[in-house]
Amino acid sequence: MQDKIRAKARELLETGTVDCVIGYERATDGLTARPVFIYGTAGVDRLVFDQTCVHNLSKFLLDRRDKRTAIVAKPCDSRAINLLINEGQLARDKVYIIGVVCQGMPEVSWNRVSKEPQERCQRCPQRVPVVYDYLVGEPVEALPVTFSDVEQMENAGPAERRGFWLEQFGRCIRCHACRQACPGCYCSECFVDQLDPTWVGIRKDVTDNEMWNTIRAFHLAGRCISCNECERVCPVSIPLSLLNRKLEKDVGEFFDFQAGIKAETVPPFATFKKDEHLKGVE
Amino acid sequence: MARIGVFICHCGSNIAGSVDIARVLEAARKMPQVVYVEDNKYTCSDPGQASIRNAVKAHRLNRVVVAACSPRMHEKTFRKTVEQAGLNPFLLEIANIREQDSWVHSDDKERATEKAIEIVRLAVAKVARNYELYARQISLTKRALVIGGGISGIQAALDIANAGHEVVLVEREPTIGGRMAQLDKTFPTLDCSACILTPKMVELAQHNRVVLFTYAEVQSIKGFVGNFEVEVRQKARKVNHTTCTGCGTCWQKCPEKVPSEFDLGMGQRTAIYIPFPQAVPTKPVIDTEHCRYMKYQRFVASGEEDKKPPQCRVCEKLCPTGSIDWEEQDRVFTEKFGAIIVATGYQTFDASAYGEYGAGMYPDVISGLQLERLMCASGPTGGEVKRPSDGAHPKTVVFVSCVGSRDEAKCRPYCSKVCCMYMAKHAIMLREHDPEVQCYIFYIDIRAGGKAYEEFTRRAQEEYGAIYLRGRISKIYQEGKKLVVLGEDSLIGRPVELSADLVVLATGMEPSSGVVELAQKLNISYDTNQFLVEAHPKLRPVETQSDGIFLAGACVGPRDIPDSVAQGSAAAVKAAALFSQDYITTDPMTAMVDISRCTGCLLCTQVCPFKAISTQALRDGRVVASVNEGLCKGCGLCAAVCRSKAIDLRGFTNQQLFAEVTSLWQ
Amino acid sequence: MAVGFEPRVVGFLCNWCSYAGADMAGTSRMSYPPNIRIIRVPCSGRVDPLFVVKAFQMGADGVLIAGCHPGDCHYTEGNYHMRRRFALLQPFLDYVGIEKERFRLEWVSASEGKRFTQVVTSFTEQLRQLGPRKDRELMAAKGVQRAV
Repeated sequence: MQDKIRAKARELLETGTVDCVIGYERATDGLTARPVFIYGTAGVDRLVFDQTCVHNLSKFLLDRRDKRTAIVAKPCDSRAINLLINEGQLARDKVYIIGVVCQGMPEVSWNRVSKEPQERCQRCPQRVPVVYDYLVGEPVEALPVTFSDVEQMENAGPAERRGFWLEQFGRCIRCHACRQACPGCYCSECFVDQLDPTWVGIRKDVTDNEMWNTIRAFHLAGRCISCNECERVCPVSIPLSLLNRKLEKDVGEFFDFQAGIKAETVPPFATFKKDEHLKGVE
Repeated sequence: MARIGVFICHCGSNIAGSVDIARVLEAARKMPQVVYVEDNKYTCSDPGQASIRNAVKAHRLNRVVVAACSPRMHEKTFRKTVEQAGLNPFLLEIANIREQDSWVHSDDKERATEKAIEIVRLAVAKVARNYELYARQISLTKRALVIGGGISGIQAALDIANAGHEVVLVEREPTIGGRMAQLDKTFPTLDCSACILTPKMVELAQHNRVVLFTYAEVQSIKGFVGNFEVEVRQKARKVNHTTCTGCGTCWQKCPEKVPSEFDLGMGQRTAIYIPFPQAVPTKPVIDTEHCRYMKYQRFVASGEEDKKPPQCRVCEKLCPTGSIDWEEQDRVFTEKFGAIIVATGYQTFDASAYGEYGAGMYPDVISGLQLERLMCASGPTGGEVKRPSDGAHPKTVVFVSCVGSRDEAKCRPYCSKVCCMYMAKHAIMLREHDPEVQCYIFYIDIRAGGKAYEEFTRRAQEEYGAIYLRGRISKIYQEGKKLVVLGEDSLIGRPVELSADLVVLATGMEPSSGVVELAQKLNISYDTNQFLVEAHPKLRPVETQSDGIFLAGACVGPRDIPDSVAQGSAAAVKAAALFSQDYITTDPMTAMVDISRCTGCLLCTQVCPFKAISTQALRDGRVVASVNEGLCKGCGLCAAVCRSKAIDLRGFTNQQLFAEVTSLWQ
Repeated sequence: MAVGFEPRVVGFLCNWCSYAGADMAGTSRMSYPPNIRIIRVPCSGRVDPLFVVKAFQMGADGVLIAGCHPGDCHYTEGNYHMRRRFALLQPFLDYVGIEKERFRLEWVSASEGKRFTQVVTSFTEQLRQLGPRKDRELMAAKGVQRAV
């Protein structure tokens, strides 16, 4: 896999198809991976790909909007690229996608890699990128989507849910790392940073934290491509995917929509049907 | 710093009776940025308004809250008042403490007072964030476009032109006149249709403020009320209409015969043709599909080896003015308009959808409009009613009503409104043509609402002997030279079998083909039957949701001639009223974009119901949203979906609404 | 259920139908519980989820959004967009523990003063049954600190 990626990267840089390849290299701990930008053939051998390459690199493309760039993309990352193309943030012809088949990534933290795939990957249906120019790896079949975690939460009592989430939001330190990691969060000025009106109080208060976390998730309704980077980077381990996946489940159920599967698509909030019957609405 | 004045109205005892005004005053005095409070017996009265004006001056107020009745009642009044006091009229908010408080909580003074205080608090919080708004004035082009040259469009165009404004009429057929031109007589007066229509057609063509584009279609529409930019495609006629005199030599000599669309296939026309003798303009077009020379050219271009078709060019040889122009191509040009009237009319339902009636299968099963052509003196039979199969004069004629009307199974649930009347007309006319004719009319209900309509259908029965049978037809089939009609008379509950010479299907109306595409170009709505939708079915019947676009005639729903003419005139008045202004004043409560926050995801452009948001490219290459204030109606959908809050709605800004929500917990 | 508990309700009413419907209730001298505080918006589609969540954050016991009946929107389609937004937001808030009974979307036309009083009465009654929000107790139980 790694060799094929390197060979392709070299070819792309040599022919001048792209000016830069965004991929992964070995981090200084010698075990995990970190993002790398390769600008010349000399650096191509720094590229690695293995079970530790968990990051979603697609957000880096936003810094290179008008420049020809190649990117190593796992299935979830490829959906992010579709999302960004759909929302006018990227042009397809500027991006060369080196898609990699993914069997699920393990839990990676500093100096430690788990044996089992992460929970998010165990639930992920996509094994092959939805869009690519060059595919690395043998295509495998997609898995069915399951929402057992969301359903478990749904079935808890309201007081239990409320208590659970207040405790989770109570721990939030409002570092906004979830936003920084999310490929869908590309606003130049996030609502949480705005002062007039101050949508979210600047205190570290559980209700303000709740406002931030719920609206952040809601802004990704019909847009979240479930790469789960938000949860991975959360320093206080708030189960953000439980929020995102609830919306993903409902969007799928109500509007038969999955974000990022196609670049040319009408997102659920951009349209409506006159005679649709939605739960809870008379 | 806002200096807010709060004026609390007693409204006699309407408010004071169930709200403790003194307590509201006391509470309002303590609200942030409130520098002056006052109560009035009737704030809307002259002394009340004067008191606001005085207080604004005396206390240097720059915001005003009036706690009184609903803003739907007196918002305009008080806006004027603060304007007279020298403030911008939008620096006012109304606290609705009558309709939404004192009147609904008259049984609980304590809680009504509490609620009144909070309603005032909401208004104070909002008004502190109001800022000056100005209505914008947009120039307008005093020129109207009428799409469709039927009777409705002709009437609209004539009325606008006579009101002193320029009109352009675009018609896709080679002549104006529309469906009315195809009719023989009109009910209930039995006026000759052509006799009353053709003078109007000529008047229109000769009007010095009217420009006529026949054989042309609207290709695209941009802009908004007062400033539409319309691309018109003039289809190639292959005949130079500036030099052509309409002498008629060409269409008399052209050897290629084609079924005539105007005669609905009952007669023939030539490949170079005018649709009917009184056509306007009386200048021909060449049907490039059937013209022998064009066929020859296509053959040469394709390079096929097969037998060469003849190369004719008779019209070119005979034309005394040399007007045949084989090189002419479609031409697209852009025109500016201030108003658009859509009068695209209808077409008749295709009766072959009813297999049991045998339309298209038996030549003697024809539609009502085809019968019109057979009866018309300028029609293919010269006004003699001859049946299509053998040219015999039919003696027994059966009419079938509601073909493509009032039938949910055929997706035509509506009544086409004119069929009952034209069946009665046909029964009368057939008897007039030939006293031996016996007409049988199978009907479901006789719908004859209209001036002298009911009397007309009675006449058909009583004076002209038409036999009306209530019931549907189950089957029609050919037996020898006769058509056997099987049906049921539901009034006596017995099956009926008739042997007819001619069967006439009273086909209903449906919107003209292509109307959906046109509606999408215009951004106006259409219903499930593809009829265009008026702004309000009762009170705004010729307007659309898009300002400056009006509707007339059968494109809105089935109409007869008087209604279509009335609507044409009504739409013309709307356009003329628009043109009576020197500029258009826009509502200042429109959306605005903060380009520094806009990420260019353009969700707003997708949700805007008025297509009021377009894009603009900035110098740094970013593409951001841009609001056209002429199109924006201020619904705020864009502001609600914008994640970065880059787009906001004047008058209901994020700041204002947010302040209202939070003020409740101050 | 707390004795004498009076819920605080924030209502976002569209200017053309529901706000006029509320006025109609007044002109017809109907009566409904005074718990609702009405915020006028041009269209139900103007209501950003931010306002709803903010109202709940501030301590609202219930939020009502009322707009024109489907097909009657003054702006032709604002209420359809609101319907979609609500269809996702209500279960989502329920999911984080703000019961779905606390958040309603209703269609009230300008002539439906009666319907408006029914909506407000039944909603207020429902919230009374539900009792006050339990957030503070739950926070105390979970040891979550709240800024003052």
